[in-house]
Amino acid sequence: MSTSDDDRILYLSGEPADSLTPQERAELDELRELLEAPATWEEPDAALEDRIVSAIADEARRTRPVESAPVAPATPQAQRRRGFRWPFRRPGLVLGGFATAAAAIVVAIVIAVGGSSSSPLQYAMVVSGTSLAPGAHGSGTLTKMTSGWEIQLSATGLPHLANGRYYQAWLKNAAGILVPVGTFNDAEHVILWSGAPVTQFRSFSVTEQLANGNPVSSGRRVLVGVAHPVH
Amino acid sequence: MVQDRDLRARFRQGDPDAVRSVYRSYGRLVYAVAHKVLGDRGLAEEATQQTFLKAWRAAQTFDEERELGPWLAAIARRVAIDLYRREAVRATDPLESAPPGDQALISSPRSADAIYDVWEVRDAMAQLPQEEQEIVRLQHLEGFTHAQIAERLGMPVGTVKSRSFRAHKRLAAMLGHLRE
Repeated sequence: MSTSDDDRILYLSGEPADSLTPQERAELDELRELLEAPATWEEPDAALEDRIVSAIADEARRTRPVESAPVAPATPQAQRRRGFRWPFRRPGLVLGGFATAAAAIVVAIVIAVGGSSSSPLQYAMVVSGTSLAPGAHGSGTLTKMTSGWEIQLSATGLPHLANGRYYQAWLKNAAGILVPVGTFNDAEHVILWSGAPVTQFRSFSVTEQLANGNPVSSGRRVLVGVAHPVH
Repeated sequence: MVQDRDLRARFRQGDPDAVRSVYRSYGRLVYAVAHKVLGDRGLAEEATQQTFLKAWRAAQTFDEERELGPWLAAIARRVAIDLYRREAVRATDPLESAPPGDQALISSPRSADAIYDVWEVRDAMAQLPQEEQEIVRLQHLEGFTHAQIAERLGMPVGTVKSRSFRAHKRLAAMLGHLRE
């Protein structure tokens, strides 16, 4: 290894390297900048893997062709037994006809509920901490159910609140109207509910609140996110 | 890195286990590219998820003879830049805007070379022994001196220096092409 190579390595590792040319220093400064960049060291949330696999699995279910219920094969014409007469001339076809009708009904029901790939309307969001909670982050899904929108939130980096303090989650629409969607003490895994449609109320936030009888938002937002349709 | 042709073929078919294997091989690299562009953890995770979704949707057209890494890196870059532009538009008319002091966005998207460089650096770092990675991290990300690293890791300063030298020697060899 040449002296220059040793000097470059020393320079990178923080030791003086007086024999480097200005160009060599400039090149190494670029490499050091990369080594110092937060992006080089940031790690994604451990739960991201499961979210990705789930998202792909959900899409696979939605895009898979509708599978019709198998049509029962027409039974071969039954041989006439001595002394017995079928009421229909071609019983095999009749049975086959009933099977076909039954299958058609099944298919119709499947289509009516959205097919084998039926999935409820769903949104997803990534949530980030604000300056009040810079280390907080997580994700959530918002799913249309019969009784409203179920919001599943998983976030880390928020301390557990108790003794009269709690978290309140909100949805907001483009007009700035806030709708409360639930209160909780710990954000690691919480289920919230919204009666307001996520299709219109897509901005999500969590505030710190005091149990003092005042239901309005404290304005102390700790977590924010925007819901996007899952497609 | 994922070299297995069978795995690539199963990824093309959308096999969930193959998807998980590909994520474990490339997820951190994709995230690094996204974070390089977006500078925000939450947005980088969103971009990472979208990258793998897009990759899966396009998997049928993926040539099994190609390496997955560069293909994923290209998708990650496009997704991250699209997200950056979306957030830049939103920042001018905020509904859930971060407080003024929050730095959720970078001022401009990075050049293509700079974006891919972080992939190369992460890849090279991942090939170092864990203890050498930690020394390099403390030195460059935390700005520690060798003495501070020695105190943090509970090892002699001489050991820190020799391991730092060895780690940077390997990095310089693996990343020399970035300087060309």
